[in-house]
Amino acid sequence: MKRSPALVPLLIVAAALVLALGPFVLPPFYVRVGQLMVYSAGLAVAWAILGGFAGYASFGHAAFIGVGAFAAGLVENQFSALAPGLLLALGLAVGGGACAVLSAAVAYPILRLRGTFFSIAMLGVCHVCAEVNNNVDFFQGSMGINFPPLAPASMDPADFFFWLYLAAGTIVMLIAWLIWRSRFGAGLLSIREDEDTARMLGVPTERYKRLAFVISAVLTGLLGVIYAHALGYITTDSVYRDDTNLNLIVFSLLGGMGTLFGPVIGAFLLVFITQVILGRLLDFHLFATGLLLVLLVLGAPGGVLGVVRGWRVRRRAATAPAE
Amino acid sequence: MRRRDVLRGVAAATAVFPAPAVRSAYAQTAKPLVIGGSVPLTGAAAETGLNVNNGYITAASYLNDVLGGVEIAGEKYRIELKLFDDASDPARATTLIQRQLDDGTNFFLGSFGSNIVLPTAAITERAKKPMVQTGGGADAIFTRGFKYVFGMFPRATRQFAPAAALFKSLKPAPQTYSVIYTNDAFSKTAGEGVRLACDAAGLKRIETYELPAKVTDVSSVLASVRSKTPDILVCVMHDQDSLLIARQMVATNTNVKLLFQGLGPQLASFREALGKYSEGLCCSTYWDEAVPYKDKFFGDAKKFAQYYRTKFTRPIAYHVAGAAACIETYVMAMQAAKSIKPEAVRDALAKADFETMYARIKFTPDGDGDALLLGGMIGQVQKGKLETIFPGEARTAEPVYPTPTWDKKA
Amino acid sequence: MSLVVQTLADGLVLGGIYALAAVGFSLIFGVLHVINLSHGILVLIGAYLALVTSQALGVDPLLTIPAVMAVLFGAGYAYQRLLIQRAVDRSPLGSMLLTFGVALMLQNIMIWVFSPDMKSITPSYAFASFSVAGITFDAVRVSALAASLVLLLCLALLLKFSPLGRVIRATAQQTLAAQLCGVNVKHVYALTFAVSAAFAGAAGIVIGVILPFSPADEALWTMNAFVVVVLGGVGSPAGALLGGLLLGIVNTLTAQYVGPSFPNVTMFLLLVLLLLVRPNGLLGNAFSASR
Repeated sequence: MKRSPALVPLLIVAAALVLALGPFVLPPFYVRVGQLMVYSAGLAVAWAILGGFAGYASFGHAAFIGVGAFAAGLVENQFSALAPGLLLALGLAVGGGACAVLSAAVAYPILRLRGTFFSIAMLGVCHVCAEVNNNVDFFQGSMGINFPPLAPASMDPADFFFWLYLAAGTIVMLIAWLIWRSRFGAGLLSIREDEDTARMLGVPTERYKRLAFVISAVLTGLLGVIYAHALGYITTDSVYRDDTNLNLIVFSLLGGMGTLFGPVIGAFLLVFITQVILGRLLDFHLFATGLLLVLLVLGAPGGVLGVVRGWRVRRRAATAPAE
Repeated sequence: MRRRDVLRGVAAATAVFPAPAVRSAYAQTAKPLVIGGSVPLTGAAAETGLNVNNGYITAASYLNDVLGGVEIAGEKYRIELKLFDDASDPARATTLIQRQLDDGTNFFLGSFGSNIVLPTAAITERAKKPMVQTGGGADAIFTRGFKYVFGMFPRATRQFAPAAALFKSLKPAPQTYSVIYTNDAFSKTAGEGVRLACDAAGLKRIETYELPAKVTDVSSVLASVRSKTPDILVCVMHDQDSLLIARQMVATNTNVKLLFQGLGPQLASFREALGKYSEGLCCSTYWDEAVPYKDKFFGDAKKFAQYYRTKFTRPIAYHVAGAAACIETYVMAMQAAKSIKPEAVRDALAKADFETMYARIKFTPDGDGDALLLGGMIGQVQKGKLETIFPGEARTAEPVYPTPTWDKKA
Repeated sequence: MSLVVQTLADGLVLGGIYALAAVGFSLIFGVLHVINLSHGILVLIGAYLALVTSQALGVDPLLTIPAVMAVLFGAGYAYQRLLIQRAVDRSPLGSMLLTFGVALMLQNIMIWVFSPDMKSITPSYAFASFSVAGITFDAVRVSALAASLVLLLCLALLLKFSPLGRVIRATAQQTLAAQLCGVNVKHVYALTFAVSAAFAGAAGIVIGVILPFSPADEALWTMNAFVVVVLGGVGSPAGALLGGLLLGIVNTLTAQYVGPSFPNVTMFLLLVLLLLVRPNGLLGNAFSASR
């Protein structure tokens, strides 16, 4: 496939600009759905930098949403006199920083584990963070923490946060693209394919894995900070959610594991299905979500992009003899 | 005591307010009055969520089917409930509340759990639509200057005042207490409230135990309770954890003079599970079907409970009544405002002083329930039945203190 | 001193139950390499079945164990053949998500059928207790522990000496070689799953006798099984027992000496630490190398 290297980022930015028009034309409910879509897509891409590219499927990334959110909240509440813009910048810096420190500390030991063992250990990390956050009074996890309102008074907070998510999501996407086409990204893919061989061939696997882990964690944490502001008040249960842990995997699986755009497609699709289509169901939606998962795993294990690729291959195979 | 005076006032108001319910012949011409909201039917809060859900449905269907709708400013309305499952997830709840706002819903009921109620309330508040809820007690909801959010009970730190007053009135006077609470926003703030109220009542605190939000074993806590035994043991946590503690206390023969469990003994299933060991246990009851309040629509709490049983087989719990009262409160506020405009209804809610089968409804300027009127009563299990032992006016039996030890109950 | 002993005793009692609840999970992970996130649901199904039958027939809940195990054995076999087998040879993530999907569906069904309420099974001896040398034991917990140990022993014997156990172990060690020797691997997988489901059901009964339960608890029991398996190692009843006891003791000791709200923290810290030091669990790996 011949594409000029600048085409993908242009595409990303163009798509983001089109989406940014959303609040002007869509009813507020769809703006909220859009918020959730863009937020989920950002998380999915951040997750995929480690889980999709390098094949280290974390089952505990909600830890970074929570740590980022609570770190930001605790610090912001100390400086509540600052202007909202500065406060957000402070929150992002603190939240991102906390995630960087945590992930760097955890990375060395935990990345020695592979496959499902890594997934489980990350789940453990998430639960430890949640419990400590919940049980140590200093962190205010069980009492909950307030976030100062950010949106300018003239603007609907729903629109404001939609744009904020969109900006953050676009940045995450661009970072992912930069990684994807770099030597670093190629190294991550080689780790996914065969870590031992990659190391033998001189890929600095340890360093690459650790770097990918920290980048993924920080981006997740930044999105978590925005999420917490959008809710306005969070307890541990709001951010350290096992369904988030799971959804991050499902996004990639639904869209196409290990691709650049798969997680985005998956996130958009799943949010649309669960919120818009299944949203009105009163006591049926757990069942419906479960059924969807089962059908997905059995019917389309390669995700949406896998299905598309399958069509392409088949079409090429069908037209090949004619040429 | 001030509280008693107020309650005497309730009794007086009861006499003035006979308000018979009139059946209407024009049910079919009634306009729909949409009330929206979310309930957690799955996820962590599902059990209480279902009670809340059933309460909403009971009230709405009684008003519609039995009374043929409600009359507001000369116009007949049928209540149309639009509830969805928020799965105990704040993100889902906020998105779906927005859908209802877009659909033109003007009045909202609350979910269960402060971490869901608060973000959804922030949205309805901004849209200037009222929310009357019975599921969010955290102080944060009522300290943000929200004008459109009303809670059916006092904020968490104020909820324990009646129990402390009861402890003080017991003979022989208890000297010491210990408190156990689980680590979730509701129980932890309640635990805080226990400490504030009991310390103020002059009781000496021996120990404070904090359990994880999800309890599986309390042997070690009970071992400590046995070695440092208080007169009163206060447990504030959700029903399931209360049952676990009670069962393990029986099994390990851990005795205190009075076991007070914030939630638990008010449930029939809890009393059945404990059998005769439930004798003497105390709990907060915000409501019980024997309460003496009169109700404009149902008549009284007993008739409400009877109607409930025609619709549901699930044992009635106080959240059912609280939820039903949310809808009654709406209707009465609309009738008082003679309008179904959200702003007018909000003002009427702020001025509310209605008697319902749940309690006398009156809100503080911050929107939470009046600590005296909606602060709840205290029940004690006596001969297998839950009797109200506090406050004096609503008393159906004298408190038993000290309660017999577990082996005497066997 | 006596407090220490009491705490340890409580921990051991609790640990035996954790072990039983985890052994099926461990077996599936060891043989099929599937992380069965619907394990907790199978445990709860056992508890609900015992509740219904013991109430309907008025028998002691522990006596319903054989019947419940038989039902879950059949259900487990069908579940594996119809659903899991289709995902078992794909990525481990796929099968894990499949079981999660099933767990969600079953949880929803349980909420419809049994309501989201907490339920509890109250046997006649629910409130009895006895003391040995100043240490208090409650009768339900001890009988639950006894039932757990007996069942674990049965499973260990089954795996060690029966023909079924032999093929299960063979399949776990060398799937391909077993297949070449004429083992019907799909059938063995399904049987393993069936055995595991049966033991999950039995664990559910034991749990139901000592703890209240509700449909939302399934995640808790899956997580506990997870931790136990990582602590003790994959695939063997002995590993599950060791992991379970360790977990139980850590739980009560932390609750007593660090603070009642910290058992989960120490539990998971221990889990992460152990994964680093001995990723295959304390007893090493009973069957094949885990992926």
